[in-house]
Amino acid sequence: MSSDPSDEIAASLMRQAGRGASAAQVAESVAATCREIEDALTPIVGTRGVAALLHRSAHVAAQTHAWLSDTEPGLPQTVDLRALTARLAHQSAADAAAGGALLLHTFHTLLASLIGASLTGRLLRSAWAPFLSSTPMNTSP
Amino acid sequence: MISNAVINRLTTGVPGLDDVLGGGLPEFSFNLIAGQPGCGKTTLAHQLMFALATPERPAIYFTVLGEPPLKMLRYQQQFEFFDGEAIDRSVRFISLSDDAMAGELERVLKRIVDEVAAHNPALVFVDSFRSVVLASETDGHPHNGLQQFVQQLGMLMTSWQATTFLIGEYSTETDANPVFTVCDGLIWLRQSVQRNSMVRKMEIVKMRGQPTLPGLHTFRIGAAGLEVFPPASVANPVPADAMAALQAPRLLMGVPGLDAMLGGGLPSGYSLLVAGPSGSGKSILAAAFLAEGARCGETGVIAAFEQHPNRSRSRLVADLIASGQVGLVENRAADLSIDEVVFMLMREIRRLGARRVVIDSLSGFELALAPTFRDDFRESLSNLVTTLAGAGVTVLMTSELEDRYTDLRFSPYGTAFMTDAIIVQRYIEVDSRLRRVMAVVKVRASAHSDELREFSIDAGGIRMGAMLADHEGLLGGRPTKKRDVDPKARTTGPR
Repeated sequence: MSSDPSDEIAASLMRQAGRGASAAQVAESVAATCREIEDALTPIVGTRGVAALLHRSAHVAAQTHAWLSDTEPGLPQTVDLRALTARLAHQSAADAAAGGALLLHTFHTLLASLIGASLTGRLLRSAWAPFLSSTPMNTSP
Repeated sequence: MISNAVINRLTTGVPGLDDVLGGGLPEFSFNLIAGQPGCGKTTLAHQLMFALATPERPAIYFTVLGEPPLKMLRYQQQFEFFDGEAIDRSVRFISLSDDAMAGELERVLKRIVDEVAAHNPALVFVDSFRSVVLASETDGHPHNGLQQFVQQLGMLMTSWQATTFLIGEYSTETDANPVFTVCDGLIWLRQSVQRNSMVRKMEIVKMRGQPTLPGLHTFRIGAAGLEVFPPASVANPVPADAMAALQAPRLLMGVPGLDAMLGGGLPSGYSLLVAGPSGSGKSILAAAFLAEGARCGETGVIAAFEQHPNRSRSRLVADLIASGQVGLVENRAADLSIDEVVFMLMREIRRLGARRVVIDSLSGFELALAPTFRDDFRESLSNLVTTLAGAGVTVLMTSELEDRYTDLRFSPYGTAFMTDAIIVQRYIEVDSRLRRVMAVVKVRASAHSDELREFSIDAGGIRMGAMLADHEGLLGGRPTKKRDVDPKARTTGPR
């Protein structure tokens, strides 16, 4: 199994959008993953640490999907998933899936650049688990 | 029936640290690892944690406000001891930064209590403790709150059967700090800087319940983490068979004629100083000594402390090293300490089961030491010789000696008295040629020759010649021919 689950995440979100899910439903999937990330990392790096990583990820991903940009000024103190969910839900389902996948991919790449792919994979195993366990069989007609 | 508490001692996994601690780390002890920024506190803590933690004996590493946890994980995983697989299995990292930023010690303590209760760790680390102190100072009553905090934390951890480490930045140990009083163990790390040299030193200021080794102990941080170099006498106790080795027959020097001058070879277990001016043949004699050992089936070790080791090493020695019959100890790292040199030598001696050791040369050895140790060079050398003698090996040391014809010296370090035997080489001028002479000055508790013999060096090594009995004033460097020569003395020297 690859430690970088980006392809599986993108495929899973695109399948969700393709099956007719609304942008709000896709947004909720992305937010659920972010909550898992928050749960996994907050004990280790603190709330502000996770918020800073997500803020940076959104900033980088916004170069492709400008609407992902976190408009909250200053240093993020907490992870504001409601705002993220709202931004995703305002797009089309396909755009929300693409933007959400890019955000999560950016987050993974950012963390791996800091602490290595191995440790990143280990720490975020629970967050990625839903994507990695959704085999093509589940979605085939 | 008397049944006193038994204190289990944990093996720390840090090379040399258990010796310095006096036999390992007492279980359930409450320890402080202190020192200035960059002295290796966090690295030591991580090394201890990864060595000690198991799924049955898990560890929690609390980070407070200091090095951000991501940075810490980033840098610490560069060390070989870092085991990513252990994370969330036997090692758990928990950030207290959110609690500490609130500036309430009560809240930090409560969080620690909750996490300890939830995960039941046997090992607890709090890094950096100093930031807990600073955070507490912001609420206006620094020391009272801190003392209570430390007391409670100590009590909690002990009753929770957790061995605890507080990691803290302290610039001076003379600060009246309640933490120093409460803790069972205080490990102080220092960086001693002199000119461009930096030497890391560790002191076990206290460790309740066991006899630690007093004083400063050098350590080095490499890819494998910390390596502590305890005093040579502790790290290398005299093995039982070392004295038996002293009873063994004499060792041959590999130079025909020289063994007879030594009274039948160099007694096993002796230390021999070969002193002479530059180019006189000291290293060639040392090489012959190792080669003779190899010929007799004995392995050897050479400690080469030269500025350009490859250039100065003879083909003979290079071949012996390549064949594995001689181990090489070089000054690859800068700023060596005597304990580190002894450690490297003893490791090589044990690896090869070596019986012969060459240190070539003492001058290079002194230069390889960090400046801070040079003042104590004579004492350090004495420790080295004692340790090697204790290990039962026979040692040959070379010493550069400025050729002075006004006085007779054997060593610039006053080391002559430390060694059991001395051979001196000198240049003399005869018939407008620079010729070499050699004499055995001393072989402790043994008869030896008092001849001053000429010798030459050719492709085969050193060739001992005869005495220059028809000359006098050899030690003055410019001998003169005797006017009235006894013909018998020209061929046979006095014994």
